[in-house]
Amino acid sequence: MSKYWDAPNQLRFGPETTHSNSLLPANHNLQKQILLRSISDKVQISSTLLPFYLFQVPSNLMEGVEASERVKRTTARLCSLCNQRKAALRRPKTLEQICRECFYNVFEDEIHRVIVENNLFKPGERIAIGASGGKDSTVLAYVLSELNKRHNYGLDLFLLSIDEGITGYRDDSLETVKRNELQYGLPLKIVSYKELYGWTMDEIVKAIGLKNNCTFCGVFRRQALDRGAALIQADKIVTGHNADDIAETVLLNILRGDIARLSRCTSITTGEDGPIPRCKPFKYTYEKEIVMYAYFKKLDYFSTECIYSPNAYRGFAREFIKDLERIRPRAILDMIRSGEDFRISTTTRMPEQGTCQRCGYISSQKLCKACVLLEGLNRGLPKLGIGRKKGGSGEDQEQSKRHLENKGLSLHGKHGNVEY
Amino acid sequence: MHLTLEFGGGLELLLKDSVKLHHVDVKPKSGEDNVTMRDLLTWVKGNLIKERPEMFIKGDSVRPGVLVLINDCDWELCGNLDAELEEKDVVVFISTLHGG
Amino acid sequence: MAVCGSACGSNCVPKDTEGVEGERLKRLSLEEESSVRRCTKCGEEEARKECNGLCAGCFRAYLYGKFKLAVTSNAMISPTDKVLVAFSGGPSSRVALEFIHEMQSKALACWDASNSQALPVFTVGVVFIEECAISNELSDQADVAIAQIRSIVSGLSPPSKDLHIVPIESLFSSDLRKLVGSINDATGQEDFVRHLRMVSLQRVAFEFGYSKLVLGLSASAIARHVICATVKGQGYSLPADVQYVDTRWKAPVVLPIRDCLEQELVTLCNLESLKHVQVLDRPCASINGLVSSFIVRLREDNPSREHTILRTAGKLKPFNFNKLSSNQYEHVPSRLRPKFQFIENGEPNSPEVLCPICASPLTATELASTRCAQQMKGLDIKEMEAFFWSCCQSCHFQILPKEETYMSCEGFFDLLPKPMVKRSLLRDEIKDYLLDDS
Repeated sequence: MSKYWDAPNQLRFGPETTHSNSLLPANHNLQKQILLRSISDKVQISSTLLPFYLFQVPSNLMEGVEASERVKRTTARLCSLCNQRKAALRRPKTLEQICRECFYNVFEDEIHRVIVENNLFKPGERIAIGASGGKDSTVLAYVLSELNKRHNYGLDLFLLSIDEGITGYRDDSLETVKRNELQYGLPLKIVSYKELYGWTMDEIVKAIGLKNNCTFCGVFRRQALDRGAALIQADKIVTGHNADDIAETVLLNILRGDIARLSRCTSITTGEDGPIPRCKPFKYTYEKEIVMYAYFKKLDYFSTECIYSPNAYRGFAREFIKDLERIRPRAILDMIRSGEDFRISTTTRMPEQGTCQRCGYISSQKLCKACVLLEGLNRGLPKLGIGRKKGGSGEDQEQSKRHLENKGLSLHGKHGNVEY
Repeated sequence: MHLTLEFGGGLELLLKDSVKLHHVDVKPKSGEDNVTMRDLLTWVKGNLIKERPEMFIKGDSVRPGVLVLINDCDWELCGNLDAELEEKDVVVFISTLHGG
Repeated sequence: MAVCGSACGSNCVPKDTEGVEGERLKRLSLEEESSVRRCTKCGEEEARKECNGLCAGCFRAYLYGKFKLAVTSNAMISPTDKVLVAFSGGPSSRVALEFIHEMQSKALACWDASNSQALPVFTVGVVFIEECAISNELSDQADVAIAQIRSIVSGLSPPSKDLHIVPIESLFSSDLRKLVGSINDATGQEDFVRHLRMVSLQRVAFEFGYSKLVLGLSASAIARHVICATVKGQGYSLPADVQYVDTRWKAPVVLPIRDCLEQELVTLCNLESLKHVQVLDRPCASINGLVSSFIVRLREDNPSREHTILRTAGKLKPFNFNKLSSNQYEHVPSRLRPKFQFIENGEPNSPEVLCPICASPLTATELASTRCAQQMKGLDIKEMEAFFWSCCQSCHFQILPKEETYMSCEGFFDLLPKPMVKRSLLRDEIKDYLLDDS
């Protein structure tokens, strides 16, 4: 399977990308050509098979523009792909400077390629796009509907939103999703915690306070997506998790010692054994590019943190990854690669999958987590199910997570990221 | 120097009344002709940010994860902190750290 | 004590028998009135805050216990070994040296007392690699450090230990400063120097006939390495570096204080006034520096975080070379040999292909890429090309020249120390390799 760093990928897309990672002046490009020729002189190497190291970005570009350049902004630099229009951004993945139009092309092409190479969809499938109204899912909905038309995927796309019942947060973001419904012409299904569980998050917070409410929300949301997808008879759910999110999850699972999650958090498709598989077409897409895309395309998205976890995005891990990206943008993809390559022993005990006796949802226990939490809520014992997990392996992570939450220094990523 | 500043992706919450768009007048430091992005950040921190400045600034630059565009061009292409601003420039700050 | 494996947190203290425990609790409750806190283990001495509630004596015993458990349960040191301790001057390797010394002294006392004297006692040497030639350290600073190291080693009680002070440039014929300077990436430079240091240590071990190399890597250092390797895309090879034993090298590398936290080691140095050399602070513009400060933040938040990271890495599957093979003990008397042997598991002994620079085992993808290039070139392949193609992706990115000209690649290759070059798949091996494969 080809991966993002493979040279062939970079070369397969049209002649203009042959020099795709050249951010150097023209004469340097020439030198590179000479090198390629000198190395491949005797045997005619087809360009798609050259080893990856010849396609690396010169590291003098690594240190950024700051030191090396005092170029006046007015002497605008040209796009390194089309060489015609003014460059508008620097791609974190390749450090190319490209114009808007070329950016749209490579951005969409890459996602198309990820979809094709990983066989994410089959013609005729009904796909539920988990839509929160935030940047990732908005861009995902837009790009998927474009690609579906352009490349004739033959998919039935739906927007699927969860209404947790958080006044002033979710009701606003749902308005965004409703506008998206009209803008992209995608049918929207909203399922609410209230109708599924009989409780809104506002009510839950009233009952249990601000501590641990994220546990409820996370567990409920995961199920709600599956149930909503089942209601609209979807074959698959796609979510907007991007490369930064996945790198962060890899890191968090290392910090928590959660080897089971570590082994599956980098899979592009999960839950294939369950009722509805989920996949992440943005697995290799940088957050920066998603935001740039949304900005340039003037996509309508909603960006406010959840009022019940106001500082979740302050997590150490997230900050570390952003700092890292500044020093070495490639590190995000490297972390994903590490996650894919970890040698996880097959003897590591993975939790056995069964179904919940009460609601039939997949569960490794007699009752699924949502039912346990719900029972606690309904019996007025909201602490039920939050404490120590049965069966050793998860215990320690729960504990350490709680430890952090208690101190208000959540290791959580952004809202909802932690469930995989 | 007249500049238009726009804050998005949740950064507007750090400003008074969560206003996204600001038309401002920034003077060059005494003895200098130009306003650089470095100067502008200092100015924004001192004059616009009302709460949690650490969400916007880290060290002498923007916090990693905040994107900056000068006239719709990635500031990484303009020299980052050393980029010199011109009359009527539009500078956009977008946080990538919120929601998703 | 055996329960305190690598997995246990720093607060794990071996439980005494119940009677003693009851006694202790009684005493503790009495103590509460007087403000002096007693050691939670022996209940006798005054507990110290920096020692996890233990007294100084029990704290030392606790750390030595971890060390000894690591050594014995992994058969790190056999009686016939000649052990070389890599001493950087820092607190971690200082404690490693101290504990190895103590273990040797005890073994010697046993030997003196024993009638048969069948088991010889291992010998110990110390090595310090002086890196002025490739770092920004000033030579007079290094001279001070070397003088201190000499006094530390000569101050140890008998048996005396050979001390090898080796300037790194004396081991290689090429211009190391130029070589390191030609690496553009700050992180790549740091990592390359680390790889050079390992090659140097191995050279010294080889020249003086040492059979084991002891590194003073603490749990904290390994936790940092786990995150660094993950961030550099080395997830596959990571488990190779975090085990107690690593036989990729001629002199197998062992990590006896792998389970001790850096802070515990610093505390011990302070308590026992173990002199250690101020390790020079290097600038931290690299990813390694960023990871270090991240780990410090995590530690402040939760002191057992480093252990958790280590435990995660411990769950990854080690490589075949992460254990000592039984034939390394053939000179041990046969009745004692089983003690030092591991049960061979049934796994096929497929040799890993290692990156010639960092010695990481290559992933299947990397191998495929290497193979593909080599197949195309066939036997025409130049030594330099073979070398570049057999490096791992991480080294490609952060160490090898990015100026994609033949000249700079060749220039870099010419400066590389021979042991590294030799590690790469050379033409003949490639031929075998290709044949094997088909």
